[in-house]
Amino acid sequence: MSAPGLEWSILAPALAAGALVLSTHVPLGRQVLQRGIIFIDLAIAQFAALGVIVAALMGWDNSPLATQAAAASAALAGALTMTWTERRWPWIQEAIIGAAFVTAASLSLLLLAGNPQAGEHLQDILAGQILWISWPDLLPALLLYMPLLGLWFGFGERLGRIGFYLLFAAAVTVSVQLVGIYLVFASLILPALATRGLKSAYLVGAAGYASGLLASGGLDLPAGPAIVCALALCALLCALLLRPHADVTGDG
Amino acid sequence: MRKILLTMLVTSLLWADSAAARLQIFACEPEWGALASELGGELVSVFTATTAQQDPHHIQARPALIAQLRRADLAICTGAELEAGWLPMLQRRANNPRTAPGSLGFLEAAAQVELLERPQRLDRADGDVHASGNPHLHLDPRNIARVAAALSQRLIALDPGNADAYRRRGEDFQQRWQAAIATWEQRARPLQGMRIVVAHNDWVYLERWLGLQRIAALEPRPGIPPSSGHLATVLAKVQQEGATAVLYAAYQDRRPADWLAARSPVQPLRLPYTVGGSQRATDLFGLFDETIDLLLEALQ
Repeated sequence: MSAPGLEWSILAPALAAGALVLSTHVPLGRQVLQRGIIFIDLAIAQFAALGVIVAALMGWDNSPLATQAAAASAALAGALTMTWTERRWPWIQEAIIGAAFVTAASLSLLLLAGNPQAGEHLQDILAGQILWISWPDLLPALLLYMPLLGLWFGFGERLGRIGFYLLFAAAVTVSVQLVGIYLVFASLILPALATRGLKSAYLVGAAGYASGLLASGGLDLPAGPAIVCALALCALLCALLLRPHADVTGDG
Repeated sequence: MRKILLTMLVTSLLWADSAAARLQIFACEPEWGALASELGGELVSVFTATTAQQDPHHIQARPALIAQLRRADLAICTGAELEAGWLPMLQRRANNPRTAPGSLGFLEAAAQVELLERPQRLDRADGDVHASGNPHLHLDPRNIARVAAALSQRLIALDPGNADAYRRRGEDFQQRWQAAIATWEQRARPLQGMRIVVAHNDWVYLERWLGLQRIAALEPRPGIPPSSGHLATVLAKVQQEGATAVLYAAYQDRRPADWLAARSPVQPLRLPYTVGGSQRATDLFGLFDETIDLLLEALQ
């Protein structure tokens, strides 16, 4: 029995995409957890999808650039709204994010009811599939993530609330289209949940992607769900192994 | 341990060698995988990308899909945008010039037949829009015969050393298939004019072949819940005009069909839709045997 799926050339672009997504999502996820706004990525991705649908209804969907611009503007607009609600009603921010998510999702469905073709765009923007990625697809993400990481680690706290939400919106708009919404959520939250150290969080993420892709290739499983489950398993193992130690040293 | 690994390596190499001697066929849907096995037999090795339990519009990416398309000599798919959500990406990743669109090793079933519901005749309010027409063409067995003829030609062109065997198998299949069609048409005569409702518009070719009369579709746009106004119209139509069954495919949700059955005397009818969609539908012959049996049963 040989596993044809375990070919390096098939798995390598997916692994590289995982590394790119993790590079931004692990540090962003720590902030998301700290601020208690777990579902912010779902809401932002849904705003981006809404932007794409509106663009399609306007007839701008022939150019991929216009589609991306619509996705990014809608995500940034949503992010700015979230900044404002966090300042205004900080104690119910999580609930507002959840409400924004279901409203944006339902609004998309209502808009789509008159235009079946736009449904494919909705699918595209929310359900990226990591295995379909080939090397050239990674270039836009790389070009965006480099300055983004520079800003993040260069300015740190000084980015402030608006800076955080805007960087977050830009990062998520790109990543959901690459790897899909489940993987984006898992890459953000699971490493941050597992450990408080940034390096160990990166390690958990890398171990999750690598083992998930290997399992997918060896056992002929869909890649996205396999990586999410592997990430959950790695996060759990890490939490069980490291947490007692962290408590003793009083870290955090 | 090392010995086991070595044995595994050697057997896998041997396995790969014997497999490489056969023509490698990548079939997008089970009906084309079954057809390739009928026409190629021992001379081909067939990989089928989707099962009857999967919606061929959307599938999850698995590494084996890329690996199989990469090594394929021939890919056979429905086309007409049925696989638009995944095949272009898969082809790009597999990067196999032998099966690139337009080459000898890529056979599009939709290009071999005349498609129904081409957009100029399609009322947009009536359902899902496929720009090139309705792609569920395999549910008319006469279309299968046309695709089979094209597939036999491709097999001969790609593997000329075995041309005689492919020709023999092709003629044998066509003969058995035409005889089966005659039997089916004979048995299906009572189905002429049978009123049906469909969950989705997947059955137009079956309807035309058997003379079924579709009076409504429950969910005109897959993925978008129908409006209550639409459901009320369907219900009123069913109560007024009467219908025997509401058809849905093995891979589809049965809830819309149950909803209608709870409110009117129409019965939900799960049809295999493709090879593997039920226990009896193990090959193309079984698929139509069972489909016609189930429809006749519903009529009684």
